[in-house]
Amino acid sequence: MVVKAENYNRPGDKELGVLFDGGKVRKRREWRGLKDTLYDYGRWLHIMGILAKFIAKPRNIKAMFRYRWMANYLATPHMIDKFTMGLRDEPLRIVHTSMDFVVYDVASTLDNIFRGDRRTGNDVEYSKKCVLSDENAMTAFMMGFPTVHAILREVPCMFVANLLTQYSSTHYLDVAQQAGIPGDVCPMPEAEAGTSIDDDFAVLGCCAVQVNTTCDGSLMGNGIIAKRLEREYGIPTFQLIAPMRHREPDVQKYAAEDMKKAIAFVEEHSGEKWDWTAYFESAKRVNDATRKRMAWLEINSTPYPQFVGAPFSLYNDTNYMGNCGRSKLFPPVDAKLLKLAQQGYEAKRMMAPEYRHRCIVWGVQPQYCIDMLNWMVHCWGVVPLTDMLSMINTKMIAEEDTPENRDQAYYDMAWLNENMIMRNRTHGGYKVLVNELWEFCDMMHADMVMMWEHMSCKALDGMHGQFEEQARERGIHLVWVCHDLCDPRVYTRQAIRNQFNDYMRTVMREEPLDPSIETLPDENAW
Amino acid sequence: MKDLKHLLYFENLLLNADNELVEKAKEDGKICVAFVCENIPEPLLNVGNAFSVRLRAPRTDSMEISTYYMTSFLCEYSRALLERAIEGGYNFTDCIMAPDGCTMINRCVENMELLKALGTDKDKFFYSNMEIPLKADENGKELYVLQCKNHILAPLHDTYGIDTSDAAIRKAVEEHNKVCRLIRAIGDYRKGDKPRITGYEFHVLTLATYVAPKYLLIDKLEETLEELKTRRPEKKDYRARVVVVGSEVDDSDFIKLIEDTGAYVCADRFCYGSIPGRDPIELTDDEDALTQVCSQYMYRCQCPRMMNMEKVYGRKQFVNDLAKEYNADGIIYEQVKFCDPWAYERTMGSTMLRDDFGYPVLSVDRPYNINSSVGQMRTRVQAFVESIEIKKIRGGAK
Repeated sequence: MVVKAENYNRPGDKELGVLFDGGKVRKRREWRGLKDTLYDYGRWLHIMGILAKFIAKPRNIKAMFRYRWMANYLATPHMIDKFTMGLRDEPLRIVHTSMDFVVYDVASTLDNIFRGDRRTGNDVEYSKKCVLSDENAMTAFMMGFPTVHAILREVPCMFVANLLTQYSSTHYLDVAQQAGIPGDVCPMPEAEAGTSIDDDFAVLGCCAVQVNTTCDGSLMGNGIIAKRLEREYGIPTFQLIAPMRHREPDVQKYAAEDMKKAIAFVEEHSGEKWDWTAYFESAKRVNDATRKRMAWLEINSTPYPQFVGAPFSLYNDTNYMGNCGRSKLFPPVDAKLLKLAQQGYEAKRMMAPEYRHRCIVWGVQPQYCIDMLNWMVHCWGVVPLTDMLSMINTKMIAEEDTPENRDQAYYDMAWLNENMIMRNRTHGGYKVLVNELWEFCDMMHADMVMMWEHMSCKALDGMHGQFEEQARERGIHLVWVCHDLCDPRVYTRQAIRNQFNDYMRTVMREEPLDPSIETLPDENAW
Repeated sequence: MKDLKHLLYFENLLLNADNELVEKAKEDGKICVAFVCENIPEPLLNVGNAFSVRLRAPRTDSMEISTYYMTSFLCEYSRALLERAIEGGYNFTDCIMAPDGCTMINRCVENMELLKALGTDKDKFFYSNMEIPLKADENGKELYVLQCKNHILAPLHDTYGIDTSDAAIRKAVEEHNKVCRLIRAIGDYRKGDKPRITGYEFHVLTLATYVAPKYLLIDKLEETLEELKTRRPEKKDYRARVVVVGSEVDDSDFIKLIEDTGAYVCADRFCYGSIPGRDPIELTDDEDALTQVCSQYMYRCQCPRMMNMEKVYGRKQFVNDLAKEYNADGIIYEQVKFCDPWAYERTMGSTMLRDDFGYPVLSVDRPYNINSSVGQMRTRVQAFVESIEIKKIRGGAK
């Protein structure tokens, strides 16, 4: 299982702990040798360019002062540095290519939000062509509306903000709990409900489409948000169904019929007609993205994985859910990523001197400690091959415009919607959550599972004992790493890493590859 | 008030899941169908030779084994059921029907299945999971019917040869309605200023109808209804009339605790309660019985998992209507701890009932077995009752 790099020589900093001194930001930028430092610095400038372009607009400056969560975006360059720590050559370029594009995508989303926002840009005509969507929702129902904008309003407020700064959600959690929501529910929908209660969401759109996404908390939080949208802002909402037992054939018609209703709802409120040509073009791009993701996974199943860690999951999340084939900008990025991954594989490029364990990352990742997977490679030589959030749809959808395929399209959109990231594992019965994990372990030649135990995720917690017993039966090392998703007050970053450290030292009896980062003084960092 | 003649009998039925009437029905050669959620249409589990038992875990104490399997963050109801199942407490059942109603109850039953905790020595024992609608509309009705056919009626027929015909469903509905009408008639005695039955007594009777074969309960329910016609109510007034709204309550001691503070539980809008669980199902000859049963279950459903906004607003309006009908002074929103759907519904409901409808509202979470936390809950209810009294004295708004 162990893979050692031949003549591994990482140019530049050898011990990554030297970059940390307990401050908000790192002590200094990482020295990666001349070529990679220049590349990295160039990309840093690129990010600064995106931010500068964004902030140059008066409405966006206004938004910075109106919305509390906007302050988190000051930490954007720092967020990218988390994912590139210790990386050189192709892996460094893969992370930049994917994550820089995610930054661009989020910046565009924010720009669009504030353009239509009644409190900042207030472009009424633009707002009339916007449809609000859930953070975790698959935007398949928008694939045939090329002139209507799907606005995932919760993504920049909560999801991304917590990647940038660890305490971004705590205020909204406090607001929600003061309103009476208990502290034991999943903090993600709770923070979103808190943002709504705090009236800190941008207000725009001709209507909103909500989905019962990943959990009971997400389903229920929608009610609180919808009430404010409908009763205070006059924005009508539609609740789109994603059946729970999504692999069962006898629920597909139900889902497809509701998809039709969602599309009719958007047509009614946006005044735009569904465009089949646009839909099938989007469908082709969805299939292309699926093929690319499967190719990346195939490379990751070899001894030389390339596109791994949180960027893999975050890029898939952006591409599949937020985009869902609608944008023409993603396929070239996908192609570039595949080319880099193939180059890296052919060059037998490794991110650390040795890979001691091949690991599947399962469960729900903590937003505020998102760089842990990169840390695992450098500190312990544990390479994360893939994660639960990336193991999504592998089915090709109909992409030719024929009368039969137009009927099929509703089923395909419903299927994508049902199989959105995370919910395709948290719902659908134990087989998709537990049994398929072991199948992926075989497929990816993994000997270890790093199990994110998001303590408030009832769907995952409900299978705790089964994971434990079945991993033992199969001889797979199962490392429990507990966290509270976006509330670092419950589990700090180092408390999270310590669980992994303890397992590696006490159970595996191993010493770290880079002891300087076993304990990182990043508790105060963004 | 003088004790109801059969109260002790009904109370004893609630001491064990495997109560004497369940045993009697089994001796009669009937098939015991276990279920775990109000979203499964109960009459369909009582067709032909089958009878239903809704699972509960009376006198629950330690839940250590189920906590290992599902962690301490899952609701205590689901953990208590799993614990009892592992202990062998449900081996009297012949199959179990589980809807994907909420994540936790779904995981509970899945663990039972993986651990083979039920059906020991029963070759034909089966688990059946089904989807239930998330919105009340015609599309949802179609799904409901299909799911009930595929996941309730077909396995019952194929495995145990049970008659699942339209006629059998109509007969089951008739028996179901007989019980519902009795419970409703008994419950109506809660409406007056001088109620002839306490909330606790009523909950005991209602609970029994969920956990015992219905045909064996009818005579004692009829006798109780007769008894109530002449029963003398308490002379003293209750301090406050409250509606209890929320997640499942199969622990009558919780209702007793509320009433021990001087309050009166005049209406029970919770899972395992009578509203809407004991609404009769009105069948016509225009449509098949299965479709009508599903339709009525779906449209009357007050479970927070129903997510369309008509239902979201409607649930609060429903509580308001109920409070008016039963002349309530206040509302207690309760939630079994760690229940996600009711965590949000309780927040939204308590806020809306207070702000939009003007009721005093107590919002609490509670353990599955109230006896593990009596003092805390009593203090909160006492304070609530006192606050209602003070408002009455001051003549403030309701």
